[in-house]
Amino acid sequence: MSTWGSRGNLSAKPGRDGRYPILTVEKLSAWYGELRALQGISFSANAGEVVSVIGANGAGKSTLLRAMTGMMNLGKRAHIEGRIECQGRRLDRLRTEKIIEGGVTMVPEGRMLFSRMSVEENLLVGAHIPRARDGIKDRLAGIFEFFPRLAERRTQSVSQMSGGEQQMVASGRARMSDPAVILFDELSLGLAPIIVDDIYDKVRQINERGVTCLVIEQDMRRALEVANHVLVMLEGDIVLDGSPDDLSREEITNAYFGTRPEGVA
Amino acid sequence: MAGLSFEEQVYWTLIDLANALLTGTFIGGYYAILSIGLALSFGVMRLVNLAHGEFLIVGAYISAVILQVVNIPAFFVLFIVVPIMFGIGYGLQRFLLNRVSVQAMERRGMSSNFGLMAPILVTFGLSIFISHGLLAIFASDAMSINNSLAFSAIRITSDLSVSTLRFIFFLFAIVLLIALFLFLRHSATGRAIRATSDNPTYATLMGINTEHVFAVALGISLAIGGVAGFMIGMTRTFQPFDGPQFILIAFGVVIIGGMNSIVGSLVGGVLLGIVQVLAGTYFGPSAQLVGGYMLVLAVLAFFREGLFSR
Repeated sequence: MSTWGSRGNLSAKPGRDGRYPILTVEKLSAWYGELRALQGISFSANAGEVVSVIGANGAGKSTLLRAMTGMMNLGKRAHIEGRIECQGRRLDRLRTEKIIEGGVTMVPEGRMLFSRMSVEENLLVGAHIPRARDGIKDRLAGIFEFFPRLAERRTQSVSQMSGGEQQMVASGRARMSDPAVILFDELSLGLAPIIVDDIYDKVRQINERGVTCLVIEQDMRRALEVANHVLVMLEGDIVLDGSPDDLSREEITNAYFGTRPEGVA
Repeated sequence: MAGLSFEEQVYWTLIDLANALLTGTFIGGYYAILSIGLALSFGVMRLVNLAHGEFLIVGAYISAVILQVVNIPAFFVLFIVVPIMFGIGYGLQRFLLNRVSVQAMERRGMSSNFGLMAPILVTFGLSIFISHGLLAIFASDAMSINNSLAFSAIRITSDLSVSTLRFIFFLFAIVLLIALFLFLRHSATGRAIRATSDNPTYATLMGINTEHVFAVALGISLAIGGVAGFMIGMTRTFQPFDGPQFILIAFGVVIIGGMNSIVGSLVGGVLLGIVQVLAGTYFGPSAQLVGGYMLVLAVLAFFREGLFSR
């Protein structure tokens, strides 16, 4: 069952745990005009990980996603410096549509579906890149199997659906491009807790099928539950990077709020 | 109607009405083809193409010139005009209008309002450039496409008839609009065009190259404009400065039918056609345009988004 991408690792060096990083970010800085929103951050994600990026409002989480999807390449208004690689391919200088072809895709905050289109059409647009056009029918069938609710409503306009259903369409649409990495921006925003539980179950299942997931989440508890790799951001910097099993709750909370643990200079 | 019996008066009143409805309907198909390109470029790029009328005239000139040089049946010229006009539209968007689009302005750190205005100004400049360019090349003599169908009519009863060309163009319009509908619904490029029209930023997140999509959309817009230009040349004479009267028709149709609807442009065309012909029949030829624009005003007053806008 590899309807969605469990592509191999092309990157040369094994990273932590002797596994190969599928995504590497090196000294990434981002500017909105003169304002520096990312302070030269570095991290890498191994294939098959769920990376949770947590941090308060304004910590730079969304900027990080925008940078990774080419949406900060706006000339004078916003730009980035540094290096982003996915599966050994350099992405930081590419336009958004080329980054999607490079295997990174995003489920944007607020779902951002194409409101005048049906469920099925939204999913098909997700498979626009040439690489994804082969086997498009199988992948669509796979998505409908994964989200049976969407199969029932395939011809319905997405604007008539509930927030949770729209989130399913957004997640399914991202998977239609057969990505190696999916970036989820604020999945739980505006959704009822019980629906968020479902959504995170699905994220875990997507991950089990070989897709590396990078999740931005305000809700620290959920972020830690789903993750096997945590990045804590503060003022445009990564202040903590590790496995949630190795890090204490206190360490993470301190990093989140920018308070230093006692006894540390 | 002096000297006519009551029955004859009723008969001729009905015949007048039937003729007006029939002619208006068939003109409506032609109006839809004149307008759909304008609606498409607005719907996808939010571009108000003020040179739309001039491009129709360019289509008419290209058709006429080719038919003067090459001896082929008139309708075959569409196989040449349509690709040429598509190419002009594609290139124009790709190399000129994309540089002043909302997205381009935002990249340069300018207000997106400027990005809405700049392309309008550019197309206004283009309209002047094109009409004067045509004047320089062809002078101001009226041109038309010679064809055997121009004066032929299909007789339905002894007193009721429609122009053969108008009838053919109506069928043409139906086929073309259905083809466009199917293309936008069921092809990958069509879906990309609709997604981009909905939200260009999120379309790029789907891996869609929106600059290419914009260019294809203007290409299709002008390609259909080429068909419209051919229809203009077949049914009447045209001159370099005839563009504005056609963009006025197109604006009327688009306002009536709504900006985002293919069916709307057909219905808008037919309604405008019928009202114009009815006004002409009952109030004299000078009432045609006034009647048509009264309808446009009425629609603006009561359905600001047009009859078929979603």
